[in-house]
Amino acid sequence: MGLKLTRGAFAHPGSSLRYHTGSWRMQRPTHQHRAAPCHTACPAGEDAQAWLALVEDERFREAWENLVRVNPLPAITGRVCHHPCEHACNRGQYDEPIAIHHVERWLGDRALQEGWDYPAPVTAPHQETVAVVGAGPAGCSAAWHLRQQGYTVHLYETRPLAGGLLRSALPPYRLPRDVLDGELERLLAMGIEFRSGQQLGRDFSLAELHEEYPAVMIAPGTQRNRHWDIDGATPHDLHVGLSLLQRWIDVGTIPEWNSVAIVGGGNSAIDLARVIRHTSGAEVHVITHQSLPRDGATPVDVMPAIAREIEQALEEGVIIHQHRGVQRLVLRGEQVVGLELVHRKEMLDSTNGKRHVSFEGTESLLHVEQVIPTIGQEVDPAGMEVLLDHAAFLHADAQGHIAGHPGIYTGGDARGDRGSVSAAIGDGRRAALAIAHDLQHLEGDANGVEIVPIRFDQLNINYFEPRRAAVAPVVPVTERTAEIEVTGTLHRNEAIAEGQRCLSCGNCMSCDNCWTLCPDVAVLKTRDAEPGYVFDYDYCKGCGLCAHECPTAYIVMENEP
Amino acid sequence: MTDNSEHPALRELRRLQPRFSGLESGHRACLGCGEALAARLVTEAAGPDVMYANATGCLEVFTTSWPESSWRVPWMHSLFENSAAIGAGMEAALKSQGKATRVIAMGGDGGTFDIGFQALSGMLERGHNMLYVCFDNEAYMNTGIQRSGSTPHAAATTTSPSGKLRMGKRHLKKDIVSIVAAHHIPYAATASVAYPSDIRKKVRRALGIDGPTFLHIHSPCPLGWGHDGSLSIEVARLAVQTGLFPVIELERGRLAGVMPIRSPHPVTEYLALQTRFRHLFADDERAREELEHLQALADHNIETYRLSGNLADNRDSEGSDTVRRGGMRWA
Repeated sequence: MGLKLTRGAFAHPGSSLRYHTGSWRMQRPTHQHRAAPCHTACPAGEDAQAWLALVEDERFREAWENLVRVNPLPAITGRVCHHPCEHACNRGQYDEPIAIHHVERWLGDRALQEGWDYPAPVTAPHQETVAVVGAGPAGCSAAWHLRQQGYTVHLYETRPLAGGLLRSALPPYRLPRDVLDGELERLLAMGIEFRSGQQLGRDFSLAELHEEYPAVMIAPGTQRNRHWDIDGATPHDLHVGLSLLQRWIDVGTIPEWNSVAIVGGGNSAIDLARVIRHTSGAEVHVITHQSLPRDGATPVDVMPAIAREIEQALEEGVIIHQHRGVQRLVLRGEQVVGLELVHRKEMLDSTNGKRHVSFEGTESLLHVEQVIPTIGQEVDPAGMEVLLDHAAFLHADAQGHIAGHPGIYTGGDARGDRGSVSAAIGDGRRAALAIAHDLQHLEGDANGVEIVPIRFDQLNINYFEPRRAAVAPVVPVTERTAEIEVTGTLHRNEAIAEGQRCLSCGNCMSCDNCWTLCPDVAVLKTRDAEPGYVFDYDYCKGCGLCAHECPTAYIVMENEP
Repeated sequence: MTDNSEHPALRELRRLQPRFSGLESGHRACLGCGEALAARLVTEAAGPDVMYANATGCLEVFTTSWPESSWRVPWMHSLFENSAAIGAGMEAALKSQGKATRVIAMGGDGGTFDIGFQALSGMLERGHNMLYVCFDNEAYMNTGIQRSGSTPHAAATTTSPSGKLRMGKRHLKKDIVSIVAAHHIPYAATASVAYPSDIRKKVRRALGIDGPTFLHIHSPCPLGWGHDGSLSIEVARLAVQTGLFPVIELERGRLAGVMPIRSPHPVTEYLALQTRFRHLFADDERAREELEHLQALADHNIETYRLSGNLADNRDSEGSDTVRRGGMRWA
């Protein structure tokens, strides 16, 4: 050892630091940022955990920038999204999920009020110009992300204004026009060349696009009504739900009835039902073969409309007939006077295909003046026949590539397997990344690998306290109209409180637990690195206490090599 | 301080840590040692102007592997039985020199409940101005897990094994804090290593009092209790949450404060994590009776000290360890 003993037989003062207990270790703790369930559940790909942490720190602009780098339209999605993030939120298994959509909306509104500009593009400009067809959520998102990737963008749109279904089918009580215009104007001002009044198949062709641009994003949405009849019968004056809704939004008129039945369980059906209630006070029935949202129902059996919208519609007096189908139209001449309803459910057959089963002996009669199918749309094939190949929707891989058509990408409702604004925004981002990836001839996968989110049982919940979620104000039923926004916004302090409630799944929240609880003083605090702690493997014995006590499952034990 | 670290940047970072730590790395405690953590938390709260007397036991052995020491404070090893007496002498000497340096005597449960009990009682009776800290891991762990006066009822140790005649230790855990408080000292308290901010508060409180004070810290021993080292805090927390280890403060012998339990956990949650209680989960009538006995002891504690918290409280068994972004809870 080379140590000299003095005559008094006491040792030279020596610190135990010279003895490295790290040599005992069989496992080592490591920091691993893993995905929160809100992140993996978001169809647009937002990392809510990351921006909620910034909101908690009152770094609102940074939070908003983190958010818009993925989703450029947060004031819109904060209002209209069905927020699957909140259904996935781990805090839902503890008390109540974080009110993520309310905070998203609050951030989006604040950005509009303060006039915040989008963050600068992430890469230097490229030479190529990319065409985007359709200025709905998918097309706008693709255009914005292509600008972020440094490409020039030409955005083609049939209608005079951008927005797609957001503008044509969402009533102002859900999405006020100033919010819609504010976010879209800011987006188009990012150097996107907006070519309105240009319709594919009428003003230009796919072949021309193919010739002019190295990459084309096709995001036409669904513009054609699905066919509807009951045993071949339709009312002579058939109104289609989405068309009625669009005309009311554009012109402000809607036919007046005393009673109507709307067939369908989607958002447009509920929106139309509420608009008719508000404008004429008619008796409105909604007929759906699915069920009202309730605990324990299988997702396929639940109406696709957003739960809070259904709840508000019921408050306003809309009558919803769940698990019902229309068996027969009761006609006097060609005029509808009623419907024969029957209990009906969607079931799986032996090959796992869906089929509708009507239950004999459950028939009943409903007297209404009109029946309005609101059962969804399909792609209008004009100009895209070659891409559709007689199908109702465009088929593409996760990145938006259409097989057999290199250089053509798609996303949004035209895919047929999407059906939400946030999914369309996510499609736009994925297609833009795929276009950048393909144009630059990069290797690998443009969008990374599938990530597994942190489970609730991986968190250490002892370190959190119960706290109710923030509740946004709602206009009382008696004061509601079709023009005034029904759901209000959070207060600044409520948004911060939601940030504080966030369990920070899979990410360091600098709580000091590991630093405080290490029996071996092998966790050191630092200002020079993220996160603010380093493991001193000279002394760490690998007991795993820090990993077990880490509230957010950010510390993971790994076997020593 | 010298060491042979291969990472000079880390060595410098260690020097710059924003806390005073009287117990340094490199000690030979087992993986997940509750006592090593508890001792470091005491030194952090007490600060640098303190001298320590340390009874023989795990803490003394694993921190001073000759010729090294993990202590960064003046520290003296006494015999097993006399750390209170050694501390009392240090306190008297400092007083006669007119120095304000404080003295803390430390011992395990063996050195406090059993072997060093008369020295402790004498120090309390003479009214020395010092703090005595007992790190309670509920058996003689250093010498091979023999039962002590602190070993809980029904726990198996090498000298109280479970078998045909007994289900672990026959006797009860000695109520040391009441005995100490009966000396009419100004402050005696219990704490758990699962609640570090509570420990710090109590150390500072005790050192702020003129006269003898006593702090009893429940510190799990993964080896002796038979649980994984990663679970030390979990086990300590459950001891509090079940009511088996009441966290209380006594001033001049009277109950002055408790850490309420928000909703008591069944004792089996605590016991099932430890192999020293494994025999209680056998299909045996005596085992079922002993489980009920331990539950009754926990219920008795909850009743006696009125530990049942009705409303959520940020100082109760759930709220005391709440974390916030940025570590603000550890103030």
